[in-house]
Amino acid sequence: MPHPFRAVIPLSRPVLALAACLAFQAPAPARATDAATPGGTLLYLEKQPHKNLYPPAGGFYPNGGILAQITDRLTWQNTDTLKIEPWIATAWSVNENSTIFTFTLRPGVTFSDGTPVDAAAVALNYDTFGKGNRTLHLPPSEVINNYERSEVIDPLTVRFYFSKPSPGFLQGTSVIGSGLVSPASLRRPLDEWGDARHVIGSGPFVVRDEVPGKSVDLVTRADYAWGPDQLAPQGPSRLAGVRIIVVPEDSIRIGAFIAGQADFARAVEAYDEEQITRHGDTIYAASTRGVNNSVVFRPDNPLVADPRVRLALLHATDRPDILRTLYSPHYPLARSVIAADAQGFVDHAADLTYDPALAARLLDEAGWTLDGDGWRRRNGVALALAVHEALPQPQSRSMLVLLAQQWRKAGVRLTILSGSPAMTVLDNLNPAVTPLFHAEVGRADPDVIKSAFYPTNRNVLLQKGGQSRHVEHFVDPELNGLLDEVASDTDPATRLADLARVQADILAKGYSIPIFEEPQVYAGSARVHDMRFEAVGRPVFYRTWLARP
Amino acid sequence: MIRYILSRAAQALLVLWGAFTLSFVLLQVMPGDAVLIKFQDPELGLSPQQISDIRASYGADESAFVQYAHVLGRTLAGQLGYSIETGVPVSRMLHAAYPTTLRLAVVSFGGAIMLAAAFATAALLAPLRPLRAALRLVPGLASGIPVFWLEIVAIQLVSFHWKLVPVVGVSGWAAAVLPGLALAIPISAPLTQVFLSAAERVMAQPFIDVLRARGASPLRILYAHVLPNALPPTLTISGLVFGEILAGAVVTETVFGLDGLGQLAQQAVANQDVAVLQAIILISVAGFVVINFTVDALHPLIDPRIRRTQAGGAA
Repeated sequence: MPHPFRAVIPLSRPVLALAACLAFQAPAPARATDAATPGGTLLYLEKQPHKNLYPPAGGFYPNGGILAQITDRLTWQNTDTLKIEPWIATAWSVNENSTIFTFTLRPGVTFSDGTPVDAAAVALNYDTFGKGNRTLHLPPSEVINNYERSEVIDPLTVRFYFSKPSPGFLQGTSVIGSGLVSPASLRRPLDEWGDARHVIGSGPFVVRDEVPGKSVDLVTRADYAWGPDQLAPQGPSRLAGVRIIVVPEDSIRIGAFIAGQADFARAVEAYDEEQITRHGDTIYAASTRGVNNSVVFRPDNPLVADPRVRLALLHATDRPDILRTLYSPHYPLARSVIAADAQGFVDHAADLTYDPALAARLLDEAGWTLDGDGWRRRNGVALALAVHEALPQPQSRSMLVLLAQQWRKAGVRLTILSGSPAMTVLDNLNPAVTPLFHAEVGRADPDVIKSAFYPTNRNVLLQKGGQSRHVEHFVDPELNGLLDEVASDTDPATRLADLARVQADILAKGYSIPIFEEPQVYAGSARVHDMRFEAVGRPVFYRTWLARP
Repeated sequence: MIRYILSRAAQALLVLWGAFTLSFVLLQVMPGDAVLIKFQDPELGLSPQQISDIRASYGADESAFVQYAHVLGRTLAGQLGYSIETGVPVSRMLHAAYPTTLRLAVVSFGGAIMLAAAFATAALLAPLRPLRAALRLVPGLASGIPVFWLEIVAIQLVSFHWKLVPVVGVSGWAAAVLPGLALAIPISAPLTQVFLSAAERVMAQPFIDVLRARGASPLRILYAHVLPNALPPTLTISGLVFGEILAGAVVTETVFGLDGLGQLAQQAVANQDVAVLQAIILISVAGFVVINFTVDALHPLIDPRIRRTQAGGAA
């Protein structure tokens, strides 16, 4: 069964001794109750400041890290079984073709401004997330497709209507982007959601203050009594609060954590893991269960339009070597387009082998022959590709540099670009400039694959019909048809079968080179207990408590 | 005197307008803009139609001239606008960032003056000529130390190893001590260099020999006679240095994760957040102007020769 996180197994002797000592102490109930005395503010070091706390923007981890503490969702996705469980909704029903969803709400739930979390408030949330609000600039959520309207049946019953079958909606009500906020917050224009103090949720913590770009202070809500069952027992958080401090510089964030100046830290790179466990602290590697960390092609660029070229580059990639060189065991080798603990995973490891001979043969067949200097050329043109460093992905630049070295052996040149954020966005929308893209999308639902590949979603392959104006002809109706089916087939078994076909299709056409299953890696001090994560690796501090120092 | 102040004020306004306009032009020349950076983020998953709606609502596709007229008009009316990236009013961001930078500037500048004074005294009064010559080389070396390296070493030793001060979760003056002192070292270097060369010119003058012959102690000669004469050029360079720190010690603030103006400016440039960057530029230029004016006003007080020239000129 998939685990919510893979805990490090420390191997050094002093740490083993400590582990033994913890194992000895953990079952003793006296210690648990004694140390779990409420109180203490957990100091959490973030890598980046939050940008905007409009819930559908929660995919960005610094945004999600705050929203996961201050908002509740209609449903909770169990982190072990990935089943959808009650949270603010105690029960729900879905019609046969997944176009009408009816939710019964838990009574007595309030937002922290005192307004009730009733059917009218939930309807307003979903009307906004489903359709967006043009006058307030609020965009619709990427996880809610085909939304038509809401209907308030009674104060605790709300119904949603969809124009097409939308089986992914139920899971969509559990994701970070569907956090429920007070009607007062929903009346604010998008700009004002940058100020965390404006975001009123019903969660176990409340924003008390923020210093823009620097810190956010969360305090515990004393009357909170509506957590999901997996986070039982019910009641307010045992912490007095959480203080989130932004420390962008890696060495300072990790150094300060190790020096005992903080309790928890996000974005731990693989090369820092060892020194953290050596100090007796814990590495939490939470799976993101979505589309793997991959290098994808933009077939609109004539250099990579031929599937044989793409497949050749796939087989010219020594992925185990990349993992050995740069990453840790928390980064499992990818065996398909999506992670092994994602729903609908099919093992394609046999199609992803490192095979330089096959790569050379495919390139020869495609007409790219070696010149005197060992570079592949066709009609005098060199096979020279470029890709932008992807800042959110762990060690993106080092990974791409290693890839470039491996492809050099196959006679293919890969240039790694970096530039200002605007430059990166613009280049990545132009297949002529970036025939490759370094991508990853986390979400524990089959819909995630559509989010990544569909033209009107993230469109990682840059098909015609998306945001880019530079795409001339590339479009793959077959793949898009399959993605549509994943998003609209109502029978769960059929959906998973569709998903299997999508994975096979993407890999057979050589659209993607999946590298590893990307975790969110955190460091927690020995003081931190009962740390939890939601289904795609955002920290949940609701059950957490701090041992007295 | 009033005419002098008025002409300085007019110059200052011209400089402010020039900096404001130049920054606008530079950000226009860069590809893309803040709206694009923020909303074409694939995390948001917006459709092309939604993005063009958002762009229209921000006026992001208006001609550069219309946008310039808009921001200039808004600024003249005293409105700094909103940060597109964070959605927070720029005035609030400045309000949050300014104290950090000011504290950093005060600590590092104060520390630099003390360092420079101590070091210059040692370099001028040390017993042996080769020792004095060797000491004179140190400021040059100190100014060559990369600030970020010095600061990382300072953090590793002082905060992480000796655990004297934390670098995260501290605020106010406590947060300014370590970065301020680390920054003081490279800042003290130009002060020392300028002061030393001025002091040596003064010490070569005949009246110093006269003082020595009368039996004045070396320390007394230095502080009572050399210092006042060597101060004016040092003062000029301090004005520049202080202005630079006020404008935001970008590297220091980044290394220490301080939320000062330098950090804000760096993020504003990365995100092409025009409103934020222009507000910072206005503040920095204003700071420079005020400091330069103060330095100019101080000169006659410490150097009687300037006082006489001005009096003579006015007569």
